[in-house]
Amino acid sequence: MKLLRLSLSAAVLLLASVLLAACGSGTDSASNVAHTDGPAATASTKPVKGGTIYYGGEQEPPCLGRPEWVQEAYIDRQVLDSLVSIDDNGKVIPWLAKSWTVSPDGKTYTFKLKPGVKFTDGTPFNAQAVVDNFNYWYDEKTTNYSNLGEFPFYKSSKAVDDLTFQLDLTHPYSPLLQTITQAYFGISSPQSLRRSEAEICEDPIGTGPFILDKWNHGQNLEFSTNPNYDSAPANAIHQGAPYVEKLIWSFIPDPTTRYGSLTSGQSTAIYDVPTQNWEEAQGQFNTYEHMEGGKPVTLNMNTVAGPFADLKVRQAFAYGTNRKADVESAFNGAVPYAGNGALTLTTPDYDPQLADAFSYDPKKAEGLLDEAGWTQKNSDGIRTKDGKELTVKIVYAAGAVITQEGLTVLQDIQQQAKQVGFDVVLVPITIEQLFSGAYSKPNKFDIIAQYFTHSSPGVLWAGVRQFNQSMFEPPALLQATEEAVSTNDPAKQKAAWYKAQELLVKNAAMVGLYPQPVLVAAKPELQDFWLEASQGEPVFSDAFLSQ
Amino acid sequence: MSAVKAKRALLRILGALLVIWAVATITFFVEAGLSGNRAEALLNQMAGTTRSVERTPAELAPINREYGFDKPLMTQYVEYIGGIARGDFGRSYLQHQSVLTIISRQVGPTIALTVSALVLAWLIMLTRIVVTARRGRFLTGFGSGVEIVSAGLPTYWLGVILLVIFAIDLQIFPVQGETSLVGLVLPAITLAIPLSGFLGQVTRDEFEKVLEQPFVVSARTRGMGDLAVRLRHVLRHAVLPAITLSGWALGALISGAVLVEAVFARPGVGNIIVSAAQSRDVPLVSGIVVLVAIVYVIANLLVDIAYTVVDPRLRST
Repeated sequence: MKLLRLSLSAAVLLLASVLLAACGSGTDSASNVAHTDGPAATASTKPVKGGTIYYGGEQEPPCLGRPEWVQEAYIDRQVLDSLVSIDDNGKVIPWLAKSWTVSPDGKTYTFKLKPGVKFTDGTPFNAQAVVDNFNYWYDEKTTNYSNLGEFPFYKSSKAVDDLTFQLDLTHPYSPLLQTITQAYFGISSPQSLRRSEAEICEDPIGTGPFILDKWNHGQNLEFSTNPNYDSAPANAIHQGAPYVEKLIWSFIPDPTTRYGSLTSGQSTAIYDVPTQNWEEAQGQFNTYEHMEGGKPVTLNMNTVAGPFADLKVRQAFAYGTNRKADVESAFNGAVPYAGNGALTLTTPDYDPQLADAFSYDPKKAEGLLDEAGWTQKNSDGIRTKDGKELTVKIVYAAGAVITQEGLTVLQDIQQQAKQVGFDVVLVPITIEQLFSGAYSKPNKFDIIAQYFTHSSPGVLWAGVRQFNQSMFEPPALLQATEEAVSTNDPAKQKAAWYKAQELLVKNAAMVGLYPQPVLVAAKPELQDFWLEASQGEPVFSDAFLSQ
Repeated sequence: MSAVKAKRALLRILGALLVIWAVATITFFVEAGLSGNRAEALLNQMAGTTRSVERTPAELAPINREYGFDKPLMTQYVEYIGGIARGDFGRSYLQHQSVLTIISRQVGPTIALTVSALVLAWLIMLTRIVVTARRGRFLTGFGSGVEIVSAGLPTYWLGVILLVIFAIDLQIFPVQGETSLVGLVLPAITLAIPLSGFLGQVTRDEFEKVLEQPFVVSARTRGMGDLAVRLRHVLRHAVLPAITLSGWALGALISGAVLVEAVFARPGVGNIIVSAAQSRDVPLVSGIVVLVAIVYVIANLLVDIAYTVVDPRLRST
């Protein structure tokens, strides 16, 4: 469960975008190929060998090879393979593991591993290597247990034989396989994990398609191809070594610069296309999009203190704000509205019925506020009750969590809520204040706007127990999420996850806004590039340059 | 060296050390005193999450032990200052590398950027002053007008404009991340233009005053050409305030570099400053703050030296 960390400078100068648009060469769009997730082989062209892909990434992670941020996972994916992957339909598919079984009690996972795979430092890949990785992630004596937040109940792991790995849990956890498809669970060479933290950080070593040759800090990463690569996931377009010779992954924090590096031809492909350039990019480049799974950017309502402790006031706020229109206008249509605030549409077992929850209806909002006793209005049009004004604080981590587009949405919401009598105060905080928990206490906020990326509905289980910003934990919700993780029956899992989503959404504990987008644009000559489905990690192992 | 000179040098060094100590101390207590639990914040940062349930002391024990958060604050402070005195700034919380390693591998491009920006700013400023000061209403007004406007230009905005025009549209310069000389041009100009405005404003007043001094008149009566008078006699008197300002400017350029490095995707200490401050990476923040303090101290020493070069009267004392 990770926060995508976006750069501080994500606030784009409008002027810059206007200038860029002015510099763009006309609007007549060439035929454009819009891909969504997953590999889509280009039928007519035969793969060409050689060449260098220049990828304009965004954020430089402090450390690699350790399961920390999404931004780091994107890079780790190039070097590390995982046990399993996930396809566009949410189905878990083989990767370093050929097959697996789950015990009837849901507590033991047994993986049969691919034979003959080697790490790029020459160490053989086997069950003991996987054990060493799990021990590295879950060793409670070290500080390296950030993965504990990913799935709970880890007990132990063992090598049954050379190619059979067994993972034991203290309690069943059905979303486990979906969870470990994220690159946080990429398998490093056990030899490499015996080095110092500083060395591990600097130089991850795996079985993956690329080898990290050099990290030019503050600038880029230089990868060369792993010539012996033969362990691509089951949904890859081809097995074997990547076609290109090199991959240069630059860190370009400023969105105008990043997009400019594509239009000027310096980058082959770029990450996080500015939404105001998205439409133009669709006309001129191949574009790829993935909406992050997990919890979308959501208004987490404080259900225990302040005006939103009253269900009717929460519902009034949801009805009184035209979130769908706000999202569509702020993102220029590049990002869909997420009416279901509990899960995003790409997450397995997402309930699409909830997408229309609380459609804009200011009359209904006014009625609910009257019922809740906020019947008077002061001279500014703000409702009052017993002399107290209906003032609510929306806390958000500016730049890092809520981008410039997100802020526009919040500002629109502020205006609309005022029409029905809410005085909305926007409180920007820093990412550091967010992480330090300075604003997590119930008396600090009425709404906290945030998201969690995750590849499984397990985000709901942890959401109510560890990351419960709404402080909404009725027994029915605890029970539904417990039921969902405890059963091996997919139908029962689905029913229980639906129940949990319904409780969160109908009770207006999480009022949805939009999913976190991964928007990539590439020159047309880049073929067979794709974004994988767990969290939109870019995949270059099938890609080639057609000219 | 005379005893007086030695004593003065010693006092200067002590003063510089005092500044660095004070800066390091303030950084430490500000970082330690920010709201929220440091271990909790660091773990959340590492995992990219915010928890609604606080971690148990047992969960926090390893991180407290690793980073010494379990020791009394004064003990942590003494160890920290002791480390800095030995030249050991410790290890970054998040990058796990030594602070000196992190800074030293990215400080080069920042120095190249700030120094070339300063030199460029001086060149732009001097040319503009010599060509336009007291040259009739139009040219003078034009020169000082440009100064006022360029002094007020926001760095980020200017950087983006230059980038869009000269790198993205005309493609004369690289868009991103070039550490070569060509890649240095646009970033250096971005920092130099506003600075040349500042320097120009203080120099112009002085320059115009000096132009009316009796020795200028006498130089002219000796038959010296106008340009020679301006360059050889007037400039030397007029640049002293700008030299003083340059000491400050060298430090200020580093903060400007934070934005410029981001716009041009250049390596440098700018991006280290931002991410270290965001993540409350105390050793790294301290390392950079002390580095900036050292830059200021050195810059001021250079200013003093420059004074004695420009003004012969200061050499004998």
